[in-house]
Amino acid sequence: MDLVRLERAVIGYRTPLLPPIDLAVRAGATLGVLGPNGAGKTALLKSLLGLLRLLGGRRVLPQGRGPRVGYVPQRDRLDQSWPLTVLDVVLMGRTRLLGPLRRPTDEDRGRSREALEEIGIGDLADRPLYALSGGQHQRVLIARAIAAEPELLVLDEPTSAMDPAAERVLLELVERLKHAHDLSVVLVTHQLTAVAGFATEVALVDRLRGVFEVGPAKQMLDPKKLGRLYGREVRVVDVGGQTAITIGAATAPDGPERALAGGEEKR
Amino acid sequence: MSAFSDFWAGRELWQEPLLAGVLAGALLSYLGVFVVLKRMVFVSAALSEISGVGVAFAFYVASIFGIDPHQHRGVPVLLEPTWFSLLFACLAGVVFSLRPGHRKLAPETIVGIGYIAASALVLAILNSPRIAQEAHAVGDILFGNAVTVPRSLIAALLAVGVAALVIHALFFKELLFASYDPETALVQGVGVLRYELVLNLITAVVISVATRAVGALPVFAFTVIPAAAALMVTEQIRRTIALSVVIGIVAAAVGYYVSWVKTLPTGASMVIVASLFLVPGLLRLLRRGTV
Repeated sequence: MDLVRLERAVIGYRTPLLPPIDLAVRAGATLGVLGPNGAGKTALLKSLLGLLRLLGGRRVLPQGRGPRVGYVPQRDRLDQSWPLTVLDVVLMGRTRLLGPLRRPTDEDRGRSREALEEIGIGDLADRPLYALSGGQHQRVLIARAIAAEPELLVLDEPTSAMDPAAERVLLELVERLKHAHDLSVVLVTHQLTAVAGFATEVALVDRLRGVFEVGPAKQMLDPKKLGRLYGREVRVVDVGGQTAITIGAATAPDGPERALAGGEEKR
Repeated sequence: MSAFSDFWAGRELWQEPLLAGVLAGALLSYLGVFVVLKRMVFVSAALSEISGVGVAFAFYVASIFGIDPHQHRGVPVLLEPTWFSLLFACLAGVVFSLRPGHRKLAPETIVGIGYIAASALVLAILNSPRIAQEAHAVGDILFGNAVTVPRSLIAALLAVGVAALVIHALFFKELLFASYDPETALVQGVGVLRYELVLNLITAVVISVATRAVGALPVFAFTVIPAAAALMVTEQIRRTIALSVVIGIVAAAVGYYVSWVKTLPTGASMVIVASLFLVPGLLRLLRRGTV
């Protein structure tokens, strides 16, 4: 069963970023969306969520309604100057469930605290947001997404600016939540290691090379495919049962420049 | 006779303007928490100025038809400066909600352009030969004087205040979510544009009415200073709002009293008193070594 599907979809802000694409988020799957900086990953995600109007093709909702989405934005996009406690932020996740005109009840507060406990930061519920570390802040955003009782958990670059150990811990947490709540997951990232070992399906995206490919993770995490995506030599090796991916020398003329080019084209 | 006795003896004169100041202070300092946190403080100055264009425009149109808008009974409803003021402010509120902007023009730049254009239009209209002789009176209507406030304006302030509070009470969680994290709110099905529009329209209407009651300077100050002062010393949104409203009310009341006993301009006195509430927050920052 698909939760949401793009069929021959043309995505972009004014002009198409990619050739027409087909992409489905299946129930229970973890879809990793991989691509270098400025590849069009955010545009793809917005199109999938229905936030960006398609320039062509269609977005299909096989259940007859959009999936309930728990969304974890990039951490650096949130303003920490707001006088909010951790619980205030997690309670925001209940907004859609509550509907308009209703205030959060004790049950909503209870569910929000449960989400925080599950993420391992139950003791931070009454702390002000600004007093949190980066990793704690990221966990609060995941707790808010879980408090929304989602069918689909969407994480936009959740491990950027994290050290490898913290990245691993966070991905294991997402994996645990996926099984505990029977979730489908979409993980958008430019970090290869975040996808290897966690994603069941992988989409490779690069608007500059006009690349869009999607398939089972084992098939997509192929040195040749990844090499084409990044314009560099890529090695995929098995280390003690875990997949490690390394990127080497540039193979395409624009490889070094692409590695440094940051930022998506937005509007 | 002590200063306070003198002040008390004149209560017939100050009851209404003081009430208008306190109402404006309370309302604006409440909305100001959202205005400051959304980093759109200049919007209040622009809305105030743009609602002024509405008033000036009403006078100009009336002068074309040979009508004196001061003679309220003889003015057709459609030429009432109040309606023009509200219309212009609401249109600006809608435009600002659409987050107009360009790769090189941030929304703040658009707000700034609105402010500058509105200021120029007010000056141009007030100095046009058709209404130049009424410019002073029009100025009072445009920007208030906080000394004499008609009861109708107090009633209008009360009405928009009640409307604003009811809307905020009903949709507080949506307004908070949509203001704090619009991207996630949108993904989770909250109508961000709708709530942004509601917030901006409420702000536009309150600013439009309050500007005529107490003047442009105190309106801008009440929208920024109490919220900023409260934010520096509180860490919970509800406490921030409560403290901001208390500061707004106290600044309006004490500012009015000071202006009476020291014979100072009322709006300026309110602003100076409000500014004193920034001191505890600044001292706190100094103690923490973050200044």
